Amino acid sequence: MAGFITFLFLARTGIRENKVLWLLIAAFALFPIFTHFANLPFWNDVAMRIMLLGIAAMGLNLVLGYGGMVSFGHAAFVGIGAYCVGISQFYGLTNGWLHILFSLGVCGSLGLMIGYLALRTSGIYFIMITLAFAQMLFFFFVSLEQFGGDDGMSIDRAEFAVIDLYEPLRLYFLIWAALAFISLGLMFIIRSRFGVTLRAIKSNESRIEAMGLEPLNFKIISYVISAVICGISGALFASWQEYVSPDIMHWTRSGELMIIIILGGLGTLAGPLLGAIVFLLLEEFLPLMLGEIAPTYAENWMILFGPLLIMVVLFGRGGLMGLTTQYLAREKSHKTEEG
Amino acid sequence: MAPTVLELCGIHKSFGALIATQDLSLKVSHGEIHALIGPNGAGKTTLIQQIYGALKPDSGQVLLNGKDVTGLSVPARVKAGIGRSFQISNVLMDFTVLENSIIAEQARLGQCFQFLRPAFSDKRLCNGGEAILDRVGLLDRANQPVRNLAHGERRMLELALALAASPSLLLLDEPLAGAGPDESQHMTAIIDALRGKVAILLIEHDMDAVFRLADRITVMVEGRIIATGTPKEISSNKEVKAAYLGDEN
Repeated sequence: MAGFITFLFLARTGIRENKVLWLLIAAFALFPIFTHFANLPFWNDVAMRIMLLGIAAMGLNLVLGYGGMVSFGHAAFVGIGAYCVGISQFYGLTNGWLHILFSLGVCGSLGLMIGYLALRTSGIYFIMITLAFAQMLFFFFVSLEQFGGDDGMSIDRAEFAVIDLYEPLRLYFLIWAALAFISLGLMFIIRSRFGVTLRAIKSNESRIEAMGLEPLNFKIISYVISAVICGISGALFASWQEYVSPDIMHWTRSGELMIIIILGGLGTLAGPLLGAIVFLLLEEFLPLMLGEIAPTYAENWMILFGPLLIMVVLFGRGGLMGLTTQYLAREKSHKTEEG
Repeated sequence: MAPTVLELCGIHKSFGALIATQDLSLKVSHGEIHALIGPNGAGKTTLIQQIYGALKPDSGQVLLNGKDVTGLSVPARVKAGIGRSFQISNVLMDFTVLENSIIAEQARLGQCFQFLRPAFSDKRLCNGGEAILDRVGLLDRANQPVRNLAHGERRMLELALALAASPSLLLLDEPLAGAGPDESQHMTAIIDALRGKVAILLIEHDMDAVFRLADRITVMVEGRIIATGTPKEISSNKEVKAAYLGDEN
């Protein structure tokens, strides 16, 4: 009981320190009311995709932003998570909880294996090895004819006991709950002794060694945690898309996750979610805008997105979250001046 | 006679044709400040790296408190009782001074695999961290980001971190390098105060400080020891004068 009260207290201080993140999560909880009255049900779908990408980016951010490990193959874990659902359904296993458990187990062990091998290297070699593992897994699923190969396999929404995902908004709030739970978990991890040590390793690995700690152990554990989070995102993704193909683990997807994190703010809790929101909104609207101006170029919205990303990185140190914190700090100093 | 903390037996290390450490043996006992001097390129830092575990000797043994640590990694040797400051100050730049010492405190306690309770607001860790800072007089700078510290203060913080786990052997690689006269004096006083508490192996180019601090001095030239003795003996040693001190006169 006392433990639970401490937990609540710690959660409260954490939420206060990460207002932007929890405001966004609250906004996602209220969003369906807005779409209902505005009669825009399509946007629930977009919101779900944002949350799913946000979860995966948060997972990657643990190693990329907080641990300083540039993993260029995290889409593989999202894909494995999704395939775990597809393959278990293929063999007649329909229970969603078991799917998630299965995804957790597989992504966790794969993360342990890949992390154990890849984390012995650093810098450019680490990037290349993680990319190589991801490509191996990509082509493995391309070659699995039994599960659709290149064309992928269709999937039914998983069964979560009392929650029927075919009812309206059930899937939406399942994804939302996963987002909230994972955000809470990461918030605790980042501030914990483990998280602090991980951030210290990013800051100066040799000082951590000089304190008698083996950095590799911390890196591997964070790698496994991030793989598992990406796996959960993938498992829910399968239910959302009702379909999975190797495309979900293509290397450009890994790049997309990195872009989202950099856009939102490396090594911040809210950054990946904010990045996912802005990235997917731009993906929706930039083609429309381009279509107005130059219809033939509508597909090439990245032409506009590229310079935009560069501007955010150049001028907003720390991405959109960096800009937000700077803005909030300025507001605060204005207020204290007036008060 | 104080017990021997560090004993090197026939350490040999070469990089290709260059012999960096040549069949070198050395003892440092508890409570003594042992200075390692020699001209640039004599192999002092290479030797420290082998004691610390960042480099493995080709042959020979490193004994710490009588235990063979030659095969151990850096973190394992630190746990066995080695503390170190580096030639270029090596602290956690992205954190505050107190956060640095809190991380050192949790490393000392060996309790870093906890995932729930926030570290920086943990009372016990804060108290431990403050005690670490207090030892070098940095407590009033506790909440400063390390980036805002002056060079000398960073060196002081690094020394505090190296001392955090109460090591039996302290390796100091040019602790006075780049320090101003005041900082230098402060640092010298703090190292002096450690005499009798911990074995210190000190590399330093500031000869005034070396002769003031050291109980014994070892002179290295081209990977070999040419003399070991009290400051008095060393300053009157002809070979040393010829090889090293003579250059300065």
